[in-house]
Amino acid sequence: MLRRIYRCVLRLHPPAFRSRFGDEILSIFDQANGRLSGFRLLMDSMLSLVRQWTLRPEFWRESVSAPAPQAAFDGIPSFCVLSPFRPRPTAVVPGLILSIALFSLTCVAIKYSWIHVLRVRIPEVQFQAPQWIPPHASATGVPDRTTGPVATNHAIAPSQTPEAASRVGSIALPPTLATKAAKNSAVYSSSSPQFKAQSNGNEIPRPSPGLQQPAAAALPLTATGPAAFAEDTTLDAAARHRVVDGASAIVRKYYVDAEVAQKMAIALRDHETNGDDNEVTDGPNFADLLTNQMRDVSHDKYVAVNYSAVETSENTSAPTPDEVARYRKEMKQNNCTFEKIAILPHNIGYLKFNSFPDTSICGPTAAAAMAKLNHADAIIFDLRDNPGGYANMVALIATYLVDRPTHLNDFYDRSQNSTEESWTLPPVPGNRLADEPAFVLTSSTTFSAAEAFSYDLKMLKRATLVGETTSGRGHMGVPHRIDGHFTIRVPGIKVINPISKTNWEGTGVEPDVKVKAADALRTAINLAESNLQKK
Amino acid sequence: MKDDLHSFLPLSPATLHILLSLAGEDLHGYGIMQEVTRQSEGKYKLGPGTLYDNLQKLIQRDWVEELGRRAGDDDPRRRYYRLTLAGRRVLEAEIARLAEVVREARARLQIARPSTAKPRRA
Repeated sequence: MLRRIYRCVLRLHPPAFRSRFGDEILSIFDQANGRLSGFRLLMDSMLSLVRQWTLRPEFWRESVSAPAPQAAFDGIPSFCVLSPFRPRPTAVVPGLILSIALFSLTCVAIKYSWIHVLRVRIPEVQFQAPQWIPPHASATGVPDRTTGPVATNHAIAPSQTPEAASRVGSIALPPTLATKAAKNSAVYSSSSPQFKAQSNGNEIPRPSPGLQQPAAAALPLTATGPAAFAEDTTLDAAARHRVVDGASAIVRKYYVDAEVAQKMAIALRDHETNGDDNEVTDGPNFADLLTNQMRDVSHDKYVAVNYSAVETSENTSAPTPDEVARYRKEMKQNNCTFEKIAILPHNIGYLKFNSFPDTSICGPTAAAAMAKLNHADAIIFDLRDNPGGYANMVALIATYLVDRPTHLNDFYDRSQNSTEESWTLPPVPGNRLADEPAFVLTSSTTFSAAEAFSYDLKMLKRATLVGETTSGRGHMGVPHRIDGHFTIRVPGIKVINPISKTNWEGTGVEPDVKVKAADALRTAINLAESNLQKK
Repeated sequence: MKDDLHSFLPLSPATLHILLSLAGEDLHGYGIMQEVTRQSEGKYKLGPGTLYDNLQKLIQRDWVEELGRRAGDDDPRRRYYRLTLAGRRVLEAEIARLAEVVREARARLQIARPSTAKPRRA
């Protein structure tokens, strides 16, 4: 063993010295070993090593018989070395293995190092252009599980034209959630008094029939001015009967729970028969009366009959280009409702967004936001003021938190008796957040798509929910046209989580850490920090 | 030439001992080590690293020459070394210098002895 070490030290000497005296020194070592202490010999060789390299530069290049450089044969790799010492050809193999092992070890160390001293940036990062679905990609309405959120043509009112269907083809939960998102934007952009008057306790403004895209939600504001109310026509018994009939039929056909639907239809009919409706002759009050009659038996606040003073035509389900342009402009003005993107102390990423806007408009904004947070060691999504939006945005943002396409939800449409699946997109190249701890802040005013996002991540055990129990909107519905003035919003689509096989309808999404919404951010930061310290 | 020699003086202990060991006969490395030990009565032990580090220097200065291997030796790896004329001159110069040092030292020590022997004045 000692001899081996001694030889190693000898090999470290300058080549000229080694080739000239190496054998002799080793011969002395062999002869003196035993008579001189091994330690002393070793120390002596170390000293001479230091001396040779520091005090004898004039001997480094002196070569007794440095072999002339050999010409490389064609096709055979040759090595040029500064030292006259030439390695044995067989030494190349262990050298290669050693190099590969060292390289692999370094790579592994960089990847799994918890210190993150080396932050290697991959130049091919393509955050500016992630693969979300272009607006018309799913124009056929055929679900495409590999490329993005599922198109839900069935969510479109039956009265829609194929053209209209194609326009909303790429939207997964648009109708209801879009209305909600639009409500959000509508509230921001308008202080119209009749909007509040019309809301009448509902969170959602009365939409026109078949509103599919958010921009359309602004329609009630423009369509129902004070003048329109003044021109209300009086409802007679026949008109009331027509509305009750229409509402019953729609509820029976679309409402997610057939049994409850039946109860509501019967209640409407009974109240009419009992003459409970007779005294109400104006549209808005009649709409509220019917709404309450249905809610009494269903306890579902999502069911609502709405009245619009301005008569709508048969086919108003598709938003006009103007409405789409308005929504686009509004999203541009308020940065797609992405309110705050920040890196908090300890490299904790923070993203507060106040809706899940349509990816066809806001996909780049969302991707840019996520790119900014890509190097965070933990990420906090603040959904405390998020009333929901589009499922395609839910899928897009969730994509950054998983390393493979992940099944998020099923959408069961009762009227069609069909189920569509919503999946995350293929992994974004260069994304680093898939393995980082995630936190979602919730409040009692976290609605619908925001609840879906929270619930899905909770079920996947991918995020820690901090805050309050959410509002509990697990159903989605489309406004259906009863006649020119009346529409009825019916939850016709049920979200079913593939893990829990149920949803949060009525119960809300329970947070993992229950604190007041106002304290949620502080709590999440503390959790993230202690989590990072444990790492 | 004499001045050239003197520029190398004083010699380091290792150099002095190596030159001295080769002054009598041609030796191989291990022989030099043993001879140095013998001359210094075991007080100065030269390691092989130090030996060859010095030998390299001495060969380069032409004070020592390499004779190569000898047939019939126990270990074929051994090479023998011989003191050259230049080496011998350097050694002689060093010995002369040392002799001078010794002479000087003795003279001084003899002068110093009585004074140090005197009792310290109050």
